[in-house]
Amino acid sequence: MLAGALGLAGVAAAFFLCERERFWINWVLWFLFLLTTGLGSLFLVALEHVVGARWSVPLRRVPETIAGLVPPMGAAALVGLLSLGTLYPWTSAEGLRDPLVAAKAGWLNEPFFALRAAACVLLWTVSYVVLVGGSRRQDQTGDPRFNRRARRFAPLFMVILGLTVTVTAFDWISSLEPVWYSDIFGVYVFAGAFLAGLAATTLFTLHLRDAGRLDGVGPDHLHNLGGFLFAFTVFWAYIGFAQYLLMWYANIPEEVFWYGERLHGAWGGILLALALLHFLVPFLILIPRDAKSRPRLLFGVALLMLAMHWLDLYWMLFPSVAGGPLFGWPELSFALLFLSGGIWWVRRLMDRGEAMPVGDPFLREGLEFRL
Amino acid sequence: MNPAQGPFSVLGVFDTPDALLEAIGKVKGRTGHRLEAYTPYPVHGLDRALGYRKSPIGGMVFVMGLVGALSALVLELWTSGWDYPLVTAGKPVVSWEAFVPILFEITVLFAALTAGLGMLLLLNRLPALRHPMLRSRSMALLTRDRFGLAVESAGEPLDPEALALLLEDAGAAAIEVVERPPAPGPASPKLLAAALGAILLACLAAAGTTYWGIKLFPRLIPMAHMLDQPRLDPQSGSSFFADGSGMRPPVAGTVSQGAPPRPLPNAEASEGLVNPLPGSAAVFRRGRAAYDTHCAVCHGLLGNGEGSLTDAYGARPTHLTAGAGRELSDGAIYHVIVSGKNAMPPYSSDLTEEERWAAVHYVRVLERALDALDTDFQGGAR
Amino acid sequence: MTGPAAAARASILESLRPPPVLQGPVRIGDLDDQLLTPVGRRPPLAWFIAFGVTSTAALLGIVLILYTIATGIGVWGNNIPVAWAFDIINFVFWVGIGHAGTLISAILLLFRARWRNSISRFAEAMTIFAVICATLFPLIHVGRPWLAFWLAPYPNQRGMWPNFRSPLLWDVFAVNTYFLISLLFWYIGLIPDLASLRDRTPPGARRFVYSVLSLGWRAASSHWHHYERAYLVIAGLATGLVLSVHSVVSFDFAVSLVPGWHMTIFPPYFVAGAVFAGFAMVVMAMVVVRSTMHLEHLITAYHLDMMNRVILACSCLMGYAYLLEGFTAWYSMNPSIHHTFRQYIGGTYGLAGWITIVCNVVIPQLLWLRWFRRNIAGMVFVSLAVTVGMWFERFVIIVSSLHQDFLSSSWHVYRPTLVDYGILLGSFGLFFSLVLLFARVLPVIATTEMKMVLPGAQPRSGKGER
Repeated sequence: MLAGALGLAGVAAAFFLCERERFWINWVLWFLFLLTTGLGSLFLVALEHVVGARWSVPLRRVPETIAGLVPPMGAAALVGLLSLGTLYPWTSAEGLRDPLVAAKAGWLNEPFFALRAAACVLLWTVSYVVLVGGSRRQDQTGDPRFNRRARRFAPLFMVILGLTVTVTAFDWISSLEPVWYSDIFGVYVFAGAFLAGLAATTLFTLHLRDAGRLDGVGPDHLHNLGGFLFAFTVFWAYIGFAQYLLMWYANIPEEVFWYGERLHGAWGGILLALALLHFLVPFLILIPRDAKSRPRLLFGVALLMLAMHWLDLYWMLFPSVAGGPLFGWPELSFALLFLSGGIWWVRRLMDRGEAMPVGDPFLREGLEFRL
Repeated sequence: MNPAQGPFSVLGVFDTPDALLEAIGKVKGRTGHRLEAYTPYPVHGLDRALGYRKSPIGGMVFVMGLVGALSALVLELWTSGWDYPLVTAGKPVVSWEAFVPILFEITVLFAALTAGLGMLLLLNRLPALRHPMLRSRSMALLTRDRFGLAVESAGEPLDPEALALLLEDAGAAAIEVVERPPAPGPASPKLLAAALGAILLACLAAAGTTYWGIKLFPRLIPMAHMLDQPRLDPQSGSSFFADGSGMRPPVAGTVSQGAPPRPLPNAEASEGLVNPLPGSAAVFRRGRAAYDTHCAVCHGLLGNGEGSLTDAYGARPTHLTAGAGRELSDGAIYHVIVSGKNAMPPYSSDLTEEERWAAVHYVRVLERALDALDTDFQGGAR
Repeated sequence: MTGPAAAARASILESLRPPPVLQGPVRIGDLDDQLLTPVGRRPPLAWFIAFGVTSTAALLGIVLILYTIATGIGVWGNNIPVAWAFDIINFVFWVGIGHAGTLISAILLLFRARWRNSISRFAEAMTIFAVICATLFPLIHVGRPWLAFWLAPYPNQRGMWPNFRSPLLWDVFAVNTYFLISLLFWYIGLIPDLASLRDRTPPGARRFVYSVLSLGWRAASSHWHHYERAYLVIAGLATGLVLSVHSVVSFDFAVSLVPGWHMTIFPPYFVAGAVFAGFAMVVMAMVVVRSTMHLEHLITAYHLDMMNRVILACSCLMGYAYLLEGFTAWYSMNPSIHHTFRQYIGGTYGLAGWITIVCNVVIPQLLWLRWFRRNIAGMVFVSLAVTVGMWFERFVIIVSSLHQDFLSSSWHVYRPTLVDYGILLGSFGLFFSLVLLFARVLPVIATTEMKMVLPGAQPRSGKGER
């Protein structure tokens, strides 16, 4: 509470005292961080419905709850539209002087951008209501029709998510440098988002388990979560490396400058930290079979990955507006506000209902899951 | 070889995996011998029931994966960055980015081969074609749909009756005493002769194939079409020109660029010319380059008149570092370079004035290097 | 709850539950009789006819390859700027086909999808044969295949080392590693089945062969203990490998500056396409195998349904990639890239571009319908479309991108020659000949793995404790 209040005060102060750019880039960074975490969790929920996984049924309420971040962060994104004039070069006459940027005006213009952002938020909210709202109602009714509906809707949601995450990545992140283009960028952001969702789910699962609210969730369930973390940190590294290798090799000016900005000076150190802490260290820690089901270790790794997801976004966003890494009281206030707000929101959602989908007919099978 | 006596094991055959697990619970710890189960497919829970420790494969694979990664890295760094640095695509010779794909592949290769072959050869000690169990009558059932529990001897004698009773009590549907295979006797002379003969034949065949392969293979030139063109190869003859040679000499009196045109002195006048260049290391290096490029094909890298073209060409180039060749004065050598002598064409068009004199210096260096004077050594004669 | 409501509830639950992996009561021993008996028997007439056809095609391919080697690759249609054409198209195509096997055996194993057990063996074999077909093409494309060993990094009298910064060399390592590991994985899976075969065969030459090939496997639990662990580890490694191989193949194109080739989405997009084409081929093969060898109860409609779902998912990924490529091509505002993409759908080879889109993205959408996923004719139609579409996709990527390069004076329309077509046909002949041979001499279904998932195969007491 206190941290949140402090953060709120700091953010308010930042709004009046800081340069507008610094305020808004922090805003974009933080809503993207919580939004992608929520979307990654929602994808995890959809994945369970699509493949008909049973082991994850007892855990499902956790990502469902974290996905509760999506509607408020969608609203934050809409507020973030106010940043367009400040942050995005393609809105200013000066930026449009570059013919490459001017030629993209058909895509990069404020009304269309706002329309896309609003459409994304709408689609996410609807998906959230269908997937998570239905699941909560099932707690009372135990109606298996929800499983069937979710199973039919989930593939559709995956298509929606694929497209909307790509649009989000291209719009909110990539268009800070309107000349730059990379068609894998949506996949990269998705990989980070899914990993963040997984990490948040792991953290919250372990927390609830310690609090005794997830009875019956054993080491085998944790092992699967650990396996997912392991697999998708590799996937994230694979996508990131593929993008970097191809741009490095081809060395095309319109592409490679993006890495040029993010490789030199302290930004290069951050990229190195990402490579090591987002990929190599978790990878090495999670290799042994036993490591994947040790709660404390898993907690540490998940926390690290979540922090690294934040750093990843920071590394993508900030070089566009700042010459070197910025971290001062405005950033700290934003962190306090959004983190405490996010945690408070998720805990409130969790405390309102059951910690497991008690109405799901497959809960028992899920609890009985053994490797 | 352990001359173990008696049966190898007593085997009980069970109908279901549950019966097997139950039997293990009853028999374990009551025999003092090794227990081994036989199942047509992996049965869950057997590992724990029989008290196996964790398989070491994970650790083996990790270590060998690291070894693979390091080998690949060292190979790539050393070949690309050190031994054969060749700039391609404008990239630094050491580009870690470009080394990652092969690094990854080799790591996986080492790791997976370790897992597969390590499991088969090291941990499971396969192939084991003479294992006693393979002679068991029950084997066909055990690879089909039955489950076996064997009390095995690692060399110590077994008590078949007691063990059979124990297994029967544990619920075995059938009992078999598995004997050891007879020790392999000495091979019969006929077999030995046949084997030796086969080896000999194989050696002969391999030798013959290799010999003829090496002899013939380089001469086969598939797709020789690019060689087959209506043009004259270097050094080949042609009836088109009056002198019957395909190559055209430069116009008489041609000198190379950079050489001041000067009247060619005759042989006698050249005798007394003095090498205008100093005997410095830089000049020797230039001379060596000129010599190795233009002279060495005939006169040899050591100046002994045995160059790589000598045999093919049929002429006997002068031995420059011994005998009459050694007696030539600097000027005489210079004159031959400029004007040619006997079969040697003039090189005035190929070598600049400086290169000629540098080559002369180098010939002198060769002479001294091959037949040094006492004063050349530090501290005089040894 | 009232009666009808309860019944409705039960029926919904039933529809959500995956059906049993096998149909009908099957006892463990029966599996051996069904799957291992046909091995080595004299095959039916249809087999001989099919083998005659495929081996003739393969022979034609071999003759044309020899003709190519003896004459020079001028007998193909390739010429600058289209220096890569059928050879590389077919290489990428076949390597792609080879990706389904590892996906099925490794990734699905890790995800514990039990339906994989019926099809893994066959899919792995197809992987190996497809990779054999694939490696043929770069080998003959180098022009002097007898010098291909120059690609190996060994100290040599030429004083040269291969260029480790070249994606083409990465290919050599990736494809060869993939082949070796796939072979190892396949063989390790085969060993217990070979042991079963050995024990069913009366003493004689065939028993001796099985006995040597099975390495004297004796089904001991101490062996299974290491075996299972190794199998899982290799599966994990193969999963990384399968991602890397087609990514490396995509690097051949994507590291360059050629418009249409240099796209950062290529690595995952190639992998998705490979799995897509591979699954289509596996579906077609399984449809034939299950009906000719009477394995409908082991490879059920459920299996086919699941494979078709994977195909559908891949098709969506392909659609996503095409969309992104098109969008980024526009968004890059690079006139060369704009030109190339106009060529994809409107130039000389515009038809190929449309075939690609329709076959890969539009037709597979039929699989959203359950009827199509379960109907043999329907799925064969879709799979054929996918196979054709994926071949044409590589044609578009390679030929359409190359034929009008930066220098408009060099523009050139590529026309394949009869030799090109003949070698392509030959590679299909070789592939199916190998598949047919495999179906006769080795068990087409991983018998041991099937036994594991039969009802009653695992002890009841083994479950529920840890």
